[in-house]
Amino acid sequence: MVIKVLFFGVLAEVTKTSLKYYNNVISFGDLRLRIQDDFPEIVHYNFRISVNNEIINDDPVLNDGDEIALLPPFSGG
Amino acid sequence: MSYNILVPGPITQDLIIACMDEISKRTDTGGHSCFIGQVRADNISGKSVVAIEYSAYKKMVKSEADQIIKMIRSEFKDVKSILILHSLGVVRAGEISLFVLVSAGHRQHAIQACSKTVEMIKEKLPVWKKEIFEDNSHEWKQNNLA
Repeated sequence: MVIKVLFFGVLAEVTKTSLKYYNNVISFGDLRLRIQDDFPEIVHYNFRISVNNEIINDDPVLNDGDEIALLPPFSGG
Repeated sequence: MSYNILVPGPITQDLIIACMDEISKRTDTGGHSCFIGQVRADNISGKSVVAIEYSAYKKMVKSEADQIIKMIRSEFKDVKSILILHSLGVVRAGEISLFVLVSAGHRQHAIQACSKTVEMIKEKLPVWKKEIFEDNSHEWKQNNLA
């Protein structure tokens, strides 16, 4: 399946990437490892993950076309 | 009233006046409470903040703001409307970056609901703040939650 991955805030800056598509994703665990391989620097930052606009706590079951976002701590206002 | 929460650049007096015009059309409200967030020229390690650059996950801002409004309205039944404007992009020190206006039948509910709305915005809206200093260096901020 194809998964769209978005990077925000400091993560967009350190990865120099705001959007990347991952093809042939098998599972969330597989995707997580591929993101860490591509952007090893992200392990130094705190972030939460959303799937299709919903923040998740446990590893989700992904579906083709899902949108994942890596969300550093919010600082609006 | 349909509007965009995210406003490019600072929130201007004209936008705030437009919100005031909107509430003057109502006759079911007796109290309005507003919060105005302003960019502060903090001094951090001897450097002054000259601006903040805001970025956001736009789609999620919309869904989270809808959730916040729903939760506030279910807790404060007297609230008739909640309006949120948040800046996107660069806002200079002294300019306004957040405007929240809560309208209710009675003042206590307007004041309490406005305060809670602002706290929920800080906690739940996927917005990021980059402080820009006078020497063009920058630092990413994190909210202190009440």
